[in-house]
Amino acid sequence: MASIARCLRVTRPSGLSALVKSPVSRVCAARAFSATATNAVRKYTKEHEWIDLSADLKTGVIGISEYAAKALGDVVFVELPEEGKRVQAGDAIGAVESVKSAADINAPISCKITQVNLLLEDKPGTINQVPEDDSHGGGWIAKVQVDEVGVKDLEKLMDDQAYKEFTAGEAEEH
Amino acid sequence: MPPIRASKVLALCQTPGSVYSAVPQPRPCHRAFTQNHDPAMLKRSVQIYHSASTDPYLNLSIEHHLLQRSAPESYVLFLYANRPCVVIGRNQNPWLEVNLCQLSQGLLPPPSPGSPPPPHRRRPQVVDLVRRRSGGGTVFHDGGNLNWSVICPPAAFDRDRHAEMVARALRGLGVGGARVNERHDIVVDDAATTTTATAVKTFKVSGSAYKLTRLRSLHHGTCLLSSPNLAHVSALLRSPAEPFIKARGVESVRSAIRNVGVGNGKFVAAVVREFRAMYDCAADAEADVDEDAARGMPEIARGVEELKSLEWIYNQTPQFTFSTHPTEDDPRPRPPLPETIPSQFRCHLTIRHGEIQDAAIAGLDYADDADAPYVSQNLVKQHLNRIVDWREALLLASPGQLGDIGPVGGWLNGMFGKTP
Repeated sequence: MASIARCLRVTRPSGLSALVKSPVSRVCAARAFSATATNAVRKYTKEHEWIDLSADLKTGVIGISEYAAKALGDVVFVELPEEGKRVQAGDAIGAVESVKSAADINAPISCKITQVNLLLEDKPGTINQVPEDDSHGGGWIAKVQVDEVGVKDLEKLMDDQAYKEFTAGEAEEH
Repeated sequence: MPPIRASKVLALCQTPGSVYSAVPQPRPCHRAFTQNHDPAMLKRSVQIYHSASTDPYLNLSIEHHLLQRSAPESYVLFLYANRPCVVIGRNQNPWLEVNLCQLSQGLLPPPSPGSPPPPHRRRPQVVDLVRRRSGGGTVFHDGGNLNWSVICPPAAFDRDRHAEMVARALRGLGVGGARVNERHDIVVDDAATTTTATAVKTFKVSGSAYKLTRLRSLHHGTCLLSSPNLAHVSALLRSPAEPFIKARGVESVRSAIRNVGVGNGKFVAAVVREFRAMYDCAADAEADVDEDAARGMPEIARGVEELKSLEWIYNQTPQFTFSTHPTEDDPRPRPPLPETIPSQFRCHLTIRHGEIQDAAIAGLDYADDADAPYVSQNLVKQHLNRIVDWREALLLASPGQLGDIGPVGGWLNGMFGKTP
């Protein structure tokens, strides 16, 4: 099992995943989910980004997982994505700096960046406090517009349960 | 990962030979890469590269190329030394971290014992300003500082693993007590015995920074071996604007530094030895990077161009404010301004992406007081780095004449790294 987990990571590791393999405490079950009006679906990448897709499959919100945020250590700067930019799944859209490390944030799916969370420029530590909060004052990174390609990309991502198992496997291995 | 073109691989590794000619050391004989012997070096599981170039922009771009193009599961060691330069971290502020005026004046050659140097040696040495792609703080490089860089899969990433590797190499060279501290730097102790007590002082000899991408992780570090310029470093890294600037992003942590007193060649050989001991490295997996060939590779050439661009060096700076007086956001007491500056003078600037986003300047000697708001307004959207002379900039921004603008303009020039 361990070797399979390792293979998975070698095929699709990430800037963030470099930081999160150390034995950190497990993700606590009570995540800071904010209830969005549209019953958004939250999916996770192996690189520890999350995306909420709205019920109409047109818009989404992107952030990094609580699991990753813990492993990052104190975030001192967030380089936000560029508004209006179209990106493919896996493209670097921004970066977070913590403990001398600049780690890329990658787009979980193909999308167009429509808004960035300017709060993070002033208060980068919000990423450590409420990384999975997509409401005002939360640690979300960007709001995006999604098309069919993006919706299709979503199929490759993990749901909450699968991600929980994935990160538990990562922590166990080390 | 896109397929690697054979020509690129060859271009990067073709020329064997001595890299560190300044410090001739016996080096293991590297295999000669030839047209008909293409080992696809970047695909090997363990790779070691040496660069003979001292161009910091080129070396960082070769390093970035290795980060992007080496096989995902490979371990890569890259070694290089740069000509004098100040290297700031990805999210740092050059106006805050660097004495830009001093930097532009260059470094005076270190005094040589005996007869004075010939005139051509008395010219100051140019010091480049570089913003690297990795995080962390500001460091000074010159030929007596050796840079080591390890690229590995993210699964193997550990902030101390390769700093420990270098510390072992140093201890093997007789640098007793070289160790990695809690900031992931390598430090040594120096016991200075006085008549009354023995005080142990700790000095930093090597600093670390990291860059993590989706596929790879990079840890690079400096190592001060025999820099003749250490006496100047502190002044170079002290900005006169520090009391007036409040910046987002990353501020450097100041450390006392010293040389370890080891030759470049010996250090390189020791680091290579330790790296080989950690990873199963084929005897022929070591190559010298040919400077001209590397420059000729489009991806590396683009990297050099980007790193040299003023856009990257200055405009990548996180937002900051400059205020001559305490503000709600930055209430620190300010040092007194020069006496030649009118006491009613006030200046508050907000700079975003290197551009003045908001300006509030007051207390100049306006021909008509109604001109005051226009001066501020007309400075908005100007790039801070492109303002070569603040006297001129203020005069141009004012609809009417301004009285003696010399002292204010000269002082602002000094604050922002232009000739006062």
